[in-house]
Amino acid sequence: MHLVIVGNGVAGITAAMAVRAKDPQAEITIISGESEYFFSRTALMYAYMDIMQRRDLEPYERKVFREQRLTLRKDWVVDLDAGARQLRTQGGATLSYDKLLLATGSRGRRAPWERDLEGVVRFVSLQDLDACERLTPGTRRAVVAGGGLIGVELVECLVHHRVPVTFLVREPSYWPAALSPEEGEMVAAHIRAQGVDLRLGTEVASMEGEGKVAGITTTAGEAIACQMVGVTIGVEPNVEWLRSVKTPPDLNRGVLTDQAFRTSLPDVFAAGDVAEVTGRIEPLWYAAKRQGEAAALSMMGERVEYAPPAYYNSAKFFHLEWTCAGETKGPGRFRKLPGREASVRVIERDGMAVGFSMLGTRWNHRVLVKWVEQRLRVDDVMKRLSEAQYDVEFGRVAL
Amino acid sequence: MIRDRLYHDLTNRGITGWIVAALLVWFYIALYFTENLTPWAQKVGLSSKWDLYGVLYTVVILVGGIAMIRKYGHNRYQVVRTAVVMFVQVVFAFSIPMMLKALHQPEYYLSYFWPLKFDYMNPEYLFRQPWPFVVYTLAASLVIVPLLAALFGKRWYCSWVCGCGGLANTMGEPWRHLSDKSSAAWKFEKVSIYSVLCISLALTGLLFYSWFTKSKAPEVVQFQTWYGLIVGSILSGAVGTGLYPLGGTRVWCRFFCPMAALLGITQRAGKRFHIRVKEDMCISCGLCSKYCEMGIDVRAYAQRNESFTRASCVGCGICSEVCPRGVLRLENQSGLVQISGGR
Repeated sequence: MHLVIVGNGVAGITAAMAVRAKDPQAEITIISGESEYFFSRTALMYAYMDIMQRRDLEPYERKVFREQRLTLRKDWVVDLDAGARQLRTQGGATLSYDKLLLATGSRGRRAPWERDLEGVVRFVSLQDLDACERLTPGTRRAVVAGGGLIGVELVECLVHHRVPVTFLVREPSYWPAALSPEEGEMVAAHIRAQGVDLRLGTEVASMEGEGKVAGITTTAGEAIACQMVGVTIGVEPNVEWLRSVKTPPDLNRGVLTDQAFRTSLPDVFAAGDVAEVTGRIEPLWYAAKRQGEAAALSMMGERVEYAPPAYYNSAKFFHLEWTCAGETKGPGRFRKLPGREASVRVIERDGMAVGFSMLGTRWNHRVLVKWVEQRLRVDDVMKRLSEAQYDVEFGRVAL
Repeated sequence: MIRDRLYHDLTNRGITGWIVAALLVWFYIALYFTENLTPWAQKVGLSSKWDLYGVLYTVVILVGGIAMIRKYGHNRYQVVRTAVVMFVQVVFAFSIPMMLKALHQPEYYLSYFWPLKFDYMNPEYLFRQPWPFVVYTLAASLVIVPLLAALFGKRWYCSWVCGCGGLANTMGEPWRHLSDKSSAAWKFEKVSIYSVLCISLALTGLLFYSWFTKSKAPEVVQFQTWYGLIVGSILSGAVGTGLYPLGGTRVWCRFFCPMAALLGITQRAGKRFHIRVKEDMCISCGLCSKYCEMGIDVRAYAQRNESFTRASCVGCGICSEVCPRGVLRLENQSGLVQISGGR
């Protein structure tokens, strides 16, 4: 069997390794135009901050791919012919496959006000990192538009390089998608304390410059001169390239698949950020890993009925850590921990705990998820909260 | 910013890093093999170059320790650990020996034990000391030190008490990330550190044999001299500390220290100390591996959801500190399976 995987991100590589673990014979080829070796996208910020070298981003030693006989090709796939079971690449090669996995991940969303000027950056790919590094020395001020997790990472990198940053966030409170207004206020205060010019409820209205970015004008009418504009308004499945191939799979926002990661094309599967599995996209590192593993089983003919487990996530806003489990929105009990930049919030419905949002201290999401699944009463959960704490030794925070 | 660039150069094997490494190696050669430092010691009113070294060592640990506490002040484990390191250095590795010396007594370093302090278990030396020291040394080296390592991991010594580790985790902090993370380095480590351990055990055995039989062969004397030169001076001094800016801060501890080897075995056998991995939260960013001074590829375990105990782990706790998702936690408990939650 020749398995070809398009995309060498965490979904693709996890799938390749899972297939190899079960089938020592299979021929496995992984194609990516972005990088020759699998690297950790989540560590892009540390490379930008010069804390890590490019090579440090690679989660596996390079010899692992030789040992596991995973063939890596650095090329972009430009055509897919599901009838002939063939791919064509930009480099002119034709590849035949028996099974194909589409794992091309996400890409940064384009903003309506965006213009193709030098100085406009995203922060998703290695090429984005190159662009950021190239632009940093000539930047006297940067504007980052979009207050999601990638936005705050990019802001942190710029602050690290002592570049003054204006951080524009559309919503009136910081990251309302997951944080309550009180939490948003804490995070906003923390970001401002790092010297960031954070503007809530403000968007970019237009972008100025000839060839290069010269500045932007905000929706409040203020003109801000800048040499770099980070567009971090979210990511979307990287499916554009599939719209013009000979036999595109059914697409919606992502590549549509069933619970076994099968697309509308025979022997073509999709997993990770690019996949819309029964109508749902999970653009998360852990989910991509899980999907890659499950898709591998499915490609090997095992019965797979993927259902995402209870939601959880974590993040770090500069120095402020955050963990959530279950639901994050809705009425709940919020408590700021005395004397610290920390809080706990338990989301409640009908007297039961349905979610947790914990800021500034460490938590074991496994325990929190278990509580949500067990449908425990909020009163009981509040008493047992310390069982889920995960602070360092000697550092247990009083709740 | 020029200051940022200079710091980056110094801590990432740039020209300044190489210069500092050369100066450190030169310093250790001068210290161990010449008397060039003696006049400097006398100028500041100290009687020997070793006293000067003791003063410098203590000052550097205090300065580095304060920097460390400032950097990691939000992390209680780091604050407590660093405070203990500083305390042990000032009291046990400096003040007590200096006071003993002033009272014309032998300078005992009560925070150093065999086989790191090799001579303490040399019967010719040991049994000529006053009995409380004999009891202390025998009990500590043979029972208490390994017992504590089995209960709490080797960290109680290597990153809480030991002066070598103390220097690494204070002054050496800016270079910790330079340790080699490759699997080839791990292979080399296993060969080198257990070789040194075997050699030091063999030599101790020979010294006891010679003492019992009251006949010391000239080969044993020669063996002892070479051991002192290669392990004591070159590996622990010039290579171990001199190469901080090139190979990271734990070159000696990781590849050569016989005590670390012994404690590593005890740590594994004790099955209590481990680094716990919170399941399915690792994003493979690799900061843990990058900052591991022992060159452990922590990420490899974290991304496999595998709580682990490595013989070389000194439990400094920095992997846990830098993890942006709070995945890693140092723990002391029996029964890894029960706490990892099961899958």
